Amino acid sequence: MAKLEASDAVVFGISIDSPAANNAFAQKIGVTFPLLSDMNRKVLKQYGILKMYNVQKEEYDWAQRTTFVIDKQGVIQSVEEEASAINPNNAVAVCTKLPKK
Amino acid sequence: MRSAHFKSLIVAAALVGSLAAGAIRAQQDVKVSHTSLKAGDMAPDFTLLDNQWKQIHLADYRGKKNVVLAFYVLAFTEG
Repeated sequence: MAKLEASDAVVFGISIDSPAANNAFAQKIGVTFPLLSDMNRKVLKQYGILKMYNVQKEEYDWAQRTTFVIDKQGVIQSVEEEASAINPNNAVAVCTKLPKK
Repeated sequence: MRSAHFKSLIVAAALVGSLAAGAIRAQQDVKVSHTSLKAGDMAPDFTLLDNQWKQIHLADYRGKKNVVLAFYVLAFTEG
């Protein structure tokens, strides 16, 4: 995380949880970056990453685990889905390579 | 004779119906599983509440910071 901040990046976690749940989660795992609430799934739809999960035979649409790196011009620099999105090293590498200005 | 014809019509209709349902389901799977956004695309702007109920606008970081968006499934899970 420090590496990301050093590369002039801010990090946001995003899920469909409420701000209250996210705050409790943030305290529990000790994250220093904001966790954003997409309760109406607007951003998940915009980014095209709603995914159906089957839990006890009921379907729920939640986020697909995905990491986007966006540069200072608002252009997406990398997209990682599923397992590779868990490891932040690639996001760090992408950010470090981006121009400082 | 006529009733047999009717029966086969029903069977055909049911077949078409189930095929259509399958196609819709398959389409949804494609839609939900992979983002259509790729490197080089503009990131769609958004405004969301953070865990302190503060509004975060993606556009506010334009020209200032790189942004890493980490979408996760649910709080309090490994996801």
